[in-house]
Amino acid sequence: MLTGLERLLKTIKLQEPDVVPHFEDIIDKKVRDAILPGSSFENFIEFMDMDGVCFYDRESAWKYEALDKGKGIYRDQWGGTVRFTQEVDCHPITPAIKSENDLDSYVPPDPDLDWRYERLKQLVKRFKGKRAIIIEVSDSLRVAGDFLLGDVAYFKAMITNPGLVDRVNEIVDNYQLKYIENCLDVGADIVFSCGDWAMTKGPMVSPKFIKRFVAPSFQKIAKYAHDRGVPCLKHTDGNIWSIFDTIIDSGADGIHPIDPVAGMDIGEAKNRFGSKICLMGNVNGATTLVTGTTEEVREETKAVIRKAGKGGGLICMSSSSIHSGVKPENYVAMVKAIRDYGKYPLP
Amino acid sequence: MIDLSEIAESIIEQNVTKTDKLTKAAVDTGISANEILDKGLMAAMQVVGEQFEKGEIFLPELLMSGEAAGAVLKWLRPLLTRREDKLNRKAAIGTVQGDIHDIGKNIVIMMLEGNGWEVTDLGIDVAPEDFCSAVREGDFQILGMSSLLTTTLPNAGKTIEALKAAGLRDKVKIMVGGAPVTKEWADKIGADAYAADGAVAVKVAVALIGKP
Repeated sequence: MLTGLERLLKTIKLQEPDVVPHFEDIIDKKVRDAILPGSSFENFIEFMDMDGVCFYDRESAWKYEALDKGKGIYRDQWGGTVRFTQEVDCHPITPAIKSENDLDSYVPPDPDLDWRYERLKQLVKRFKGKRAIIIEVSDSLRVAGDFLLGDVAYFKAMITNPGLVDRVNEIVDNYQLKYIENCLDVGADIVFSCGDWAMTKGPMVSPKFIKRFVAPSFQKIAKYAHDRGVPCLKHTDGNIWSIFDTIIDSGADGIHPIDPVAGMDIGEAKNRFGSKICLMGNVNGATTLVTGTTEEVREETKAVIRKAGKGGGLICMSSSSIHSGVKPENYVAMVKAIRDYGKYPLP
Repeated sequence: MIDLSEIAESIIEQNVTKTDKLTKAAVDTGISANEILDKGLMAAMQVVGEQFEKGEIFLPELLMSGEAAGAVLKWLRPLLTRREDKLNRKAAIGTVQGDIHDIGKNIVIMMLEGNGWEVTDLGIDVAPEDFCSAVREGDFQILGMSSLLTTTLPNAGKTIEALKAAGLRDKVKIMVGGAPVTKEWADKIGADAYAADGAVAVKVAVALIGKP
């Protein structure tokens, strides 16, 4: 029997493991408590026997300074302001950089601060060699767009001031590359670059702009990970058919979530791209896991495995995360179905 | 004489400076604001909306055309507010309680404004009672609610229930949108319409109030 780490690595190399692997990036505490009351994140990982454990940069390795706790307003580490609600992610309110002149004196956060890696060290100590330690890294489009320039200014600058986009991307790339280096030194096994490049109908920017402004940052991360012998996964919601090749060519070893909300079919993805990239997902976290019955979850999970599991190259997981709206019994049903229907060789 | 199709073209080409100059020239030569709105701005934004829907342009191009549309409105607003005009169309839009994702909402606002609507941005994470206050105090024909998260979807329904309880439901037409939103969901919670994106939202809003 393979360890979770071996199972995931074999799957990402497009080989058949013993059983289809599973992990989730976020599991809401409410869901965890309903399944295993009072459990820590780490205990829950072991209880569900997940193959990987995620270390999320924005949750565990970024600094936020409280400005108005009552309203959930904080200064983020890039210098702008954000607002937290009940979800893990925060929402940018004001960006750090108001004009290009700000860039000349801009001081980026320091990726070398020890405290950023304390939690990762704990995860490594507990899980190293048994389960994959996966670092979730916010990508440049997300960080530069949302936190440094603001999304509207960032997108407009692609047309009016491409050099500005390059400059802010470089700031983020330099930070992230050093951050990843530090994480890998601590003992991380897999890099998972997260940030949406697409909406439900298609990419946010043209395929040409994806190649010009967005993919190069990911390419740097993937190359660095590969140079260190570590696979690099990519997350983006949305309809990505028109940029699928670009994502693969940029060095992605896996792609999540093959977004069912955007009409992405994992069977079609398997047929077209399954020989080049590991597929991750795509049990519907917007509908089935939220409002479906356990039987519907089992059927959908089985269908995902049947469509995309053959030959390896499938990590079966939710298409979103296990957010607070997911029925706990549905998450359990999905994991059980993966173990029941995911044994290799598949029929 | 200024050819208003040139204004439309410059918006479609995302040329903010040219749009600004042409609109000023059109206003200076005495062309009516409504004519500039019809043949310049709205004609352009219809094309831009269709291009976005078809995947021929993307967010950067859409946003630049939106900025060009803003350059037109800068000249027209002072004129239009003084007369009977097409800016007599008002909408209020916000993301539902708990939801802080606003780029979709902002695109809808931009597209509506580009099509001559006066839009009040209620912001993000808007509580049902705040939607109710806005409807009570404003004279909006359309109330738009956006939610990106599955977890916040029910809050659109709760807002509609709050509007009913406050006796305000019939004061506005309600339009909902966001990635996980479907027409079936919109029907289920008692919204008047579902709009898949900003371009569609304009058509839906116009259809809801029954004016061209």
